[in-house]
Amino acid sequence: MERIMIINGSPRAPKSNSKRYAELFSRYCPVETDYYNLTKRNHRQLCELMAGYSDVLFVFPLYADALPVGFLDFLKELEANPPARKPMVSILINCGFLEYSQNEIAIEMMHIFCRKNDYRVGSILELGSGEAILGTPFKYVAVRAIKRLARSVAHGEHRTIKATMPLSKRLFIWASTYYWTAFGRKFGVSKSRMQTMQIEDGRLPDLPLAGE
Amino acid sequence: MKLIMCDRPIQVNIRDNSDIKYIDLSSLKIANCTGCFGCWTRTPGKCVMRDDATRVYPYIAASDTVLYVSRVKYGGYDSVMKRMLERAIPVQQAFIRIFKNETHHVQRAVVPKRATIVAYGDIDAEERALFEKLVARNASNMSFESHEVVFTPEAELDDCVKKIVERWNG
Repeated sequence: MERIMIINGSPRAPKSNSKRYAELFSRYCPVETDYYNLTKRNHRQLCELMAGYSDVLFVFPLYADALPVGFLDFLKELEANPPARKPMVSILINCGFLEYSQNEIAIEMMHIFCRKNDYRVGSILELGSGEAILGTPFKYVAVRAIKRLARSVAHGEHRTIKATMPLSKRLFIWASTYYWTAFGRKFGVSKSRMQTMQIEDGRLPDLPLAGE
Repeated sequence: MKLIMCDRPIQVNIRDNSDIKYIDLSSLKIANCTGCFGCWTRTPGKCVMRDDATRVYPYIAASDTVLYVSRVKYGGYDSVMKRMLERAIPVQQAFIRIFKNETHHVQRAVVPKRATIVAYGDIDAEERALFEKLVARNASNMSFESHEVVFTPEAELDDCVKKIVERWNG
Protein backbone atom coordinates (compact mmCIF):
# COMPACT_ATOMS: atom_id res chain seq x y z
CA MET A 1 0.00 0.00 0.00
CA GLU A 2 1.25 3.48 -0.90
CA ARG A 3 2.25 5.60 2.10
CA ILE A 4 4.31 8.74 2.12
CA MET A 5 6.77 9.60 4.88
CA ILE A 6 7.35 13.34 5.26
CA ILE A 7 10.58 14.37 6.99
CA ASN A 8 11.03 18.01 7.92
CA GLY A 9 14.77 18.76 7.75
CA SER A 10 14.47 22.37 8.93
CA PRO A 11 16.65 23.24 11.95
CA ARG A 12 13.57 24.81 13.55
CA ALA A 13 11.29 22.01 12.47
CA PRO A 14 8.43 22.39 15.02
CA LYS A 15 7.92 26.07 14.16
CA SER A 16 9.26 26.20 10.63
CA ASN A 17 7.81 27.27 7.33
CA SER A 18 8.79 23.80 6.14
CA LYS A 19 6.27 22.39 8.64
CA ARG A 20 3.53 24.54 7.13
CA TYR A 21 4.50 23.37 3.64
CA ALA A 22 4.39 19.77 4.87
CA GLU A 23 0.90 20.33 6.32
CA LEU A 24 -0.29 21.67 2.99
CA PHE A 25 1.23 18.67 1.23
CA SER A 26 -0.65 16.28 3.58
CA ARG A 27 -3.89 18.20 3.11
CA TYR A 28 -3.80 17.89 -0.67
CA CYS A 29 -2.23 14.46 -0.95
CA PRO A 30 -4.70 11.71 -1.90
CA VAL A 31 -2.41 9.11 -0.28
CA GLU A 32 -1.86 8.60 3.47
CA THR A 33 1.08 10.60 4.88
CA ASP A 34 3.01 10.49 8.17
CA TYR A 35 4.95 13.56 9.30
CA TYR A 36 8.22 13.58 11.28
CA ASN A 37 10.39 16.43 12.51
CA LEU A 38 14.10 15.73 12.21
CA THR A 39 15.70 16.09 15.65
CA LYS A 40 19.23 15.48 16.87
CA ARG A 41 18.21 12.17 18.41
CA ASN A 42 15.82 10.51 15.97
CA HIS A 43 18.01 9.97 12.89
CA ARG A 44 18.43 6.22 13.45
CA GLN A 45 14.74 5.75 14.22
CA LEU A 46 13.70 7.54 11.02
CA CYS A 47 16.12 5.40 8.98
CA GLU A 48 14.41 2.28 10.33
CA LEU A 49 10.88 3.59 9.85
CA MET A 50 11.60 4.51 6.23
CA ALA A 51 11.35 0.86 5.13
CA GLY A 52 7.59 0.98 5.69
CA TYR A 53 6.98 3.68 3.10
CA SER A 54 6.69 3.71 -0.69
CA ASP A 55 7.80 7.37 -0.83
CA VAL A 56 9.65 9.85 1.32
CA LEU A 57 9.26 13.61 0.96
CA PHE A 58 12.11 15.67 2.37
CA VAL A 59 11.05 19.24 3.19
CA PHE A 60 13.83 21.65 4.10
CA PRO A 61 15.12 25.20 3.59
CA LEU A 62 18.25 26.29 1.75
CA TYR A 63 21.03 27.12 4.24
CA ALA A 64 24.23 28.84 3.14
CA ASP A 65 23.63 27.84 -0.49
CA ALA A 66 23.23 24.13 0.29
CA LEU A 67 21.60 21.52 2.55
CA PRO A 68 21.18 22.48 6.24
CA VAL A 69 23.90 20.72 8.25
CA GLY A 70 21.46 18.82 10.48
CA PHE A 71 19.80 17.37 7.39
CA LEU A 72 23.21 16.59 5.86
CA ASP A 73 24.06 14.65 9.03
CA PHE A 74 20.80 12.74 8.68
CA LEU A 75 21.64 11.77 5.09
CA LYS A 76 25.02 10.49 6.28
CA GLU A 77 23.24 8.43 8.94
CA LEU A 78 20.85 7.12 6.28
CA GLU A 79 23.81 6.18 4.10
CA ALA A 80 25.29 4.20 7.00
CA ASN A 81 21.94 2.63 7.97
CA PRO A 82 19.87 2.12 4.83
CA PRO A 83 16.29 0.88 5.19
CA ALA A 84 15.54 -2.67 4.07
CA ARG A 85 13.31 -1.27 1.32
CA LYS A 86 14.25 2.06 -0.24
CA PRO A 87 11.42 4.50 -0.96
CA MET A 88 11.24 6.96 -3.85
CA VAL A 89 12.73 10.31 -2.76
CA SER A 90 10.82 13.53 -3.45
CA ILE A 91 11.95 16.99 -2.37
CA LEU A 92 10.34 20.26 -1.33
CA ILE A 93 12.97 22.95 -0.85
CA ASN A 94 12.46 26.63 -0.13
CA CYS A 95 14.77 29.61 -0.03
CA GLY A 96 14.17 33.17 1.12
CA PHE A 97 15.48 34.68 -2.10
CA LEU A 98 13.20 35.54 -4.97
CA GLU A 99 14.95 33.17 -7.37
CA TYR A 100 13.97 29.53 -6.90
CA SER A 101 17.05 28.75 -9.00
CA GLN A 102 19.19 29.46 -5.92
CA ASN A 103 17.97 26.05 -4.64
CA GLU A 104 19.56 24.14 -7.49
CA ILE A 105 22.87 23.27 -5.84
CA ALA A 106 21.04 21.69 -2.91
CA ILE A 107 18.87 19.74 -5.36
CA GLU A 108 21.99 18.50 -7.17
CA MET A 109 23.44 17.41 -3.81
CA MET A 110 20.27 15.37 -3.26
CA HIS A 111 20.69 13.79 -6.70
CA ILE A 112 24.25 12.80 -5.79
CA PHE A 113 23.09 11.32 -2.48
CA CYS A 114 20.39 9.35 -4.30
CA ARG A 115 22.75 8.13 -7.02
CA LYS A 116 25.37 7.00 -4.52
CA ASN A 117 22.80 5.22 -2.37
CA ASP A 118 20.46 3.77 -5.00
CA TYR A 119 17.37 5.83 -4.29
CA ARG A 120 15.12 6.83 -7.17
CA VAL A 121 14.35 10.55 -7.36
CA GLY A 122 10.66 11.40 -7.69
CA SER A 123 9.16 14.89 -7.77
CA ILE A 124 10.83 18.13 -6.82
CA LEU A 125 9.36 21.48 -5.80
CA GLU A 126 11.72 24.46 -5.73
CA LEU A 127 10.18 27.43 -3.93
CA GLY A 128 11.58 30.93 -3.97
CA SER A 129 10.57 33.72 -1.54
CA GLY A 130 9.68 30.91 0.84
CA GLU A 131 10.33 32.72 4.10
CA ALA A 132 7.33 34.99 3.81
CA ILE A 133 5.14 33.72 1.00
CA LEU A 134 2.45 32.06 3.16
CA GLY A 135 1.75 35.36 4.89
CA THR A 136 1.25 37.34 1.70
CA PRO A 137 -1.43 37.63 -1.01
CA PHE A 138 0.84 35.28 -3.00
CA LYS A 139 0.13 32.36 -0.68
CA TYR A 140 -1.88 30.88 -3.54
CA VAL A 141 1.32 30.45 -5.56
CA ALA A 142 2.82 28.18 -2.90
CA VAL A 143 -0.45 26.34 -2.25
CA ARG A 144 -0.99 25.65 -5.95
CA ALA A 145 2.57 24.37 -6.36
CA ILE A 146 2.34 22.13 -3.27
CA LYS A 147 -0.99 20.75 -4.48
CA ARG A 148 0.65 19.81 -7.80
CA LEU A 149 3.57 18.26 -5.94
CA ALA A 150 1.26 16.19 -3.72
CA ARG A 151 -0.69 14.86 -6.68
CA SER A 152 2.41 14.06 -8.69
CA VAL A 153 3.99 12.10 -5.80
CA ALA A 154 0.73 10.27 -5.02
CA HIS A 155 0.13 9.30 -8.66
CA GLY A 156 3.76 8.50 -9.42
CA GLU A 157 3.74 11.07 -12.22
CA HIS A 158 6.96 12.71 -11.23
CA ARG A 159 7.92 16.20 -12.24
CA THR A 160 9.91 19.25 -11.20
CA ILE A 161 7.85 22.26 -10.15
CA LYS A 162 9.21 25.76 -9.60
CA ALA A 163 7.40 28.65 -7.97
CA THR A 164 8.02 32.05 -6.44
CA MET A 165 6.26 35.37 -5.83
CA PRO A 166 5.29 37.00 -9.14
CA LEU A 167 7.22 40.19 -8.32
CA SER A 168 10.04 42.15 -9.86
CA LYS A 169 13.30 42.08 -7.90
CA ARG A 170 12.78 45.67 -6.78
CA LEU A 171 9.27 45.04 -5.52
CA PHE A 172 10.47 41.88 -3.79
CA ILE A 173 13.14 43.90 -1.97
CA TRP A 174 10.52 46.43 -0.89
CA ALA A 175 8.24 43.64 0.36
CA SER A 176 11.03 41.74 2.13
CA THR A 177 12.26 44.95 3.80
CA TYR A 178 8.73 45.50 5.13
CA TYR A 179 8.61 41.87 6.33
CA TRP A 180 11.96 41.96 8.14
CA THR A 181 11.36 45.40 9.65
CA ALA A 182 8.09 44.13 11.14
CA PHE A 183 9.90 41.00 12.35
CA GLY A 184 12.47 43.13 14.25
CA ARG A 185 9.76 45.40 15.65
CA LYS A 186 8.26 42.38 17.46
CA PHE A 187 11.45 42.29 19.54
CA GLY A 188 11.63 46.06 19.95
CA VAL A 189 14.50 46.32 17.45
CA SER A 190 14.35 49.18 14.96
CA LYS A 191 15.19 48.92 11.28
CA SER A 192 18.31 51.07 11.76
CA ARG A 193 19.54 48.78 14.55
CA MET A 194 18.98 45.77 12.31
CA GLN A 195 21.06 47.54 9.68
CA THR A 196 24.11 47.89 11.93
CA MET A 197 27.34 47.16 10.09
CA GLN A 198 28.97 46.04 13.34
CA ILE A 199 29.73 42.36 13.89
CA GLU A 200 29.87 41.22 17.53
CA ASP A 201 31.43 44.18 19.40
CA GLY A 202 33.21 45.55 16.36
CA ARG A 203 36.60 44.22 17.43
CA LEU A 204 38.30 40.88 17.01
CA PRO A 205 37.93 38.49 19.94
CA ASP A 206 40.77 36.24 21.10
CA LEU A 207 41.42 33.57 18.51
CA PRO A 208 39.69 30.35 19.51
CA LEU A 209 42.85 28.39 18.72
CA ALA A 210 46.23 29.73 17.68
CA GLY A 211 48.27 28.11 14.95
CA GLU A 212 51.42 26.30 15.85
CA MET B 1 44.53 39.78 7.49
CA LYS B 2 44.57 36.24 6.15
CA LEU B 3 42.61 33.33 7.59
CA ILE B 4 43.18 29.59 7.36
CA MET B 5 40.02 27.81 8.52
CA CYS B 6 40.05 24.04 8.35
CA ASP B 7 37.84 21.15 9.39
CA ARG B 8 40.76 19.07 10.69
CA PRO B 9 44.19 19.91 12.08
CA ILE B 10 46.75 21.02 9.48
CA GLN B 11 50.50 21.11 10.02
CA VAL B 12 51.30 24.61 8.82
CA ASN B 13 53.96 26.93 10.17
CA ILE B 14 52.63 30.47 10.52
CA ARG B 15 54.60 31.40 13.64
CA ASP B 16 56.53 34.19 11.94
CA ASN B 17 53.52 35.77 10.28
CA SER B 18 51.11 37.56 12.60
CA ASP B 19 48.99 38.52 9.60
CA ILE B 20 47.87 34.89 9.17
CA LYS B 21 45.33 33.43 11.59
CA TYR B 22 44.67 29.71 11.86
CA ILE B 23 41.44 28.17 13.10
CA ASP B 24 40.90 24.41 13.36
CA LEU B 25 37.13 24.07 13.56
CA SER B 26 37.36 20.44 14.68
CA SER B 27 38.83 21.58 18.00
CA LEU B 28 35.97 23.99 18.74
CA LYS B 29 32.53 23.66 20.28
CA ILE B 30 30.10 24.86 17.64
CA ALA B 31 26.39 23.97 17.62
CA ASN B 32 24.11 23.88 14.60
CA CYS B 33 22.38 27.12 13.59
CA THR B 34 18.79 26.90 14.83
CA GLY B 35 17.44 29.34 12.25
CA CYS B 36 16.07 31.64 14.97
CA PHE B 37 17.02 34.83 13.05
CA GLY B 38 18.17 36.33 16.37
CA CYS B 39 21.38 37.62 14.76
CA TRP B 40 19.26 39.58 12.28
CA THR B 41 16.32 40.71 14.40
CA ARG B 42 17.02 40.55 18.15
CA THR B 43 20.76 41.15 18.62
CA PRO B 44 21.81 42.28 15.13
CA GLY B 45 25.36 41.21 14.25
CA LYS B 46 25.60 38.81 17.21
CA CYS B 47 24.53 35.19 17.43
CA VAL B 48 22.36 34.47 20.45
CA MET B 49 24.15 31.13 20.97
CA ARG B 50 27.39 32.10 22.71
CA ASP B 51 29.63 29.20 21.73
CA ASP B 52 32.96 29.21 19.85
CA ALA B 53 31.34 30.24 16.55
CA THR B 54 31.02 33.79 17.91
CA ARG B 55 34.84 33.97 18.04
CA VAL B 56 35.19 32.69 14.46
CA TYR B 57 32.85 34.75 12.28
CA PRO B 58 34.47 38.10 13.19
CA TYR B 59 37.71 36.70 11.70
CA ILE B 60 35.89 35.54 8.57
CA ALA B 61 34.45 39.03 8.16
CA ALA B 62 37.74 40.84 8.78
CA SER B 63 39.94 38.77 6.45
CA ASP B 64 40.82 39.88 2.93
CA THR B 65 42.23 36.46 2.07
CA VAL B 66 40.77 33.17 3.22
CA LEU B 67 41.79 29.55 2.83
CA TYR B 68 39.05 27.10 3.77
CA VAL B 69 39.94 23.42 4.01
CA SER B 70 37.01 21.02 3.92
CA ARG B 71 36.12 17.45 3.24
CA VAL B 72 33.50 17.20 0.47
CA LYS B 73 30.25 15.28 0.92
CA TYR B 74 27.63 14.90 -1.81
CA GLY B 75 29.32 17.73 -3.72
CA GLY B 76 29.12 20.19 -0.81
CA TYR B 77 31.07 21.03 2.33
CA ASP B 78 31.03 18.25 4.89
CA SER B 79 29.48 18.89 8.31
CA VAL B 80 32.29 20.60 10.24
CA MET B 81 32.84 23.38 7.70
CA LYS B 82 29.16 23.63 6.75
CA ARG B 83 28.15 24.05 10.40
CA MET B 84 30.49 27.05 10.74
CA LEU B 85 29.43 28.62 7.45
CA GLU B 86 25.80 28.47 8.60
CA ARG B 87 26.73 30.01 11.95
CA ALA B 88 28.44 32.90 10.13
CA ILE B 89 25.16 34.55 9.11
CA PRO B 90 25.47 37.32 11.75
CA VAL B 91 27.85 38.94 9.23
CA GLN B 92 24.82 39.54 7.02
CA GLN B 93 21.68 41.60 7.53
CA ALA B 94 18.16 40.24 7.11
CA PHE B 95 17.64 42.82 4.39
CA ILE B 96 17.93 41.92 0.73
CA ARG B 97 19.76 43.69 -2.09
CA ILE B 98 20.24 43.02 -5.78
CA PHE B 99 23.73 41.71 -6.43
CA LYS B 100 24.84 40.33 -9.81
CA ASN B 101 21.23 40.47 -10.91
CA GLU B 102 20.03 38.19 -8.09
CA THR B 103 18.57 38.85 -4.66
CA HIS B 104 21.08 38.38 -1.81
CA HIS B 105 21.45 39.52 1.78
CA VAL B 106 23.14 42.85 2.54
CA GLN B 107 26.55 42.27 4.15
CA ARG B 108 27.65 44.04 7.34
CA ALA B 109 31.33 45.07 7.74
CA VAL B 110 32.66 42.20 5.66
CA VAL B 111 35.95 42.77 3.87
CA PRO B 112 35.85 41.60 0.23
CA LYS B 113 38.09 38.61 0.00
CA ARG B 114 40.18 36.36 -2.19
CA ALA B 115 39.12 32.82 -1.36
CA THR B 116 40.91 29.54 -1.87
CA ILE B 117 38.95 26.44 -1.00
CA VAL B 118 40.93 23.25 -0.57
CA ALA B 119 38.59 20.29 -1.02
CA TYR B 120 39.57 16.78 -0.05
CA GLY B 121 38.02 13.34 0.36
CA ASP B 122 36.66 10.69 -1.96
CA ILE B 123 35.35 13.05 -4.66
CA ASP B 124 34.08 11.88 -8.04
CA ALA B 125 33.79 14.03 -11.19
CA GLU B 126 30.14 14.96 -10.58
CA GLU B 127 30.89 16.04 -7.01
CA ARG B 128 33.88 18.09 -8.17
CA ALA B 129 31.78 19.92 -10.72
CA LEU B 130 29.04 20.60 -8.18
CA PHE B 131 31.48 21.75 -5.52
CA GLU B 132 32.94 24.27 -7.95
CA LYS B 133 29.43 25.56 -8.65
CA LEU B 134 28.75 25.79 -4.92
CA VAL B 135 31.87 27.87 -4.28
CA ALA B 136 30.97 30.14 -7.20
CA ARG B 137 27.56 30.64 -5.59
CA ASN B 138 29.15 31.22 -2.17
CA ALA B 139 31.03 34.09 -3.80
CA SER B 140 27.83 36.13 -3.98
CA ASN B 141 26.83 35.44 -0.37
CA MET B 142 30.26 35.41 1.28
CA SER B 143 31.92 38.42 -0.36
CA PHE B 144 34.46 36.47 -2.43
CA GLU B 145 35.98 38.90 -4.95
CA SER B 146 37.82 35.98 -6.50
CA HIS B 147 37.87 32.30 -5.74
CA GLU B 148 39.81 29.18 -6.54
CA VAL B 149 39.02 25.55 -5.72
CA VAL B 150 41.88 23.11 -5.25
CA PHE B 151 41.13 19.39 -4.99
CA THR B 152 43.68 17.26 -3.21
CA PRO B 153 43.92 13.81 -1.64
CA GLU B 154 43.70 13.96 2.16
CA ALA B 155 47.21 12.52 2.46
CA GLU B 156 48.62 15.55 0.61
CA LEU B 157 46.61 18.18 2.49
CA ASP B 158 49.46 19.60 4.58
CA ASP B 159 51.69 20.05 1.51
CA CYS B 160 48.87 21.63 -0.46
CA VAL B 161 48.13 24.18 2.30
CA LYS B 162 51.84 24.86 2.75
CA LYS B 163 52.21 25.73 -0.94
CA ILE B 164 49.26 28.12 -0.83
CA VAL B 165 50.60 29.86 2.28
CA GLU B 166 54.04 30.17 0.65
CA ARG B 167 52.34 31.83 -2.30
CA TRP B 168 50.70 34.32 0.10
CA ASN B 169 54.08 35.09 1.61
CA GLY B 170 55.43 35.76 -1.91
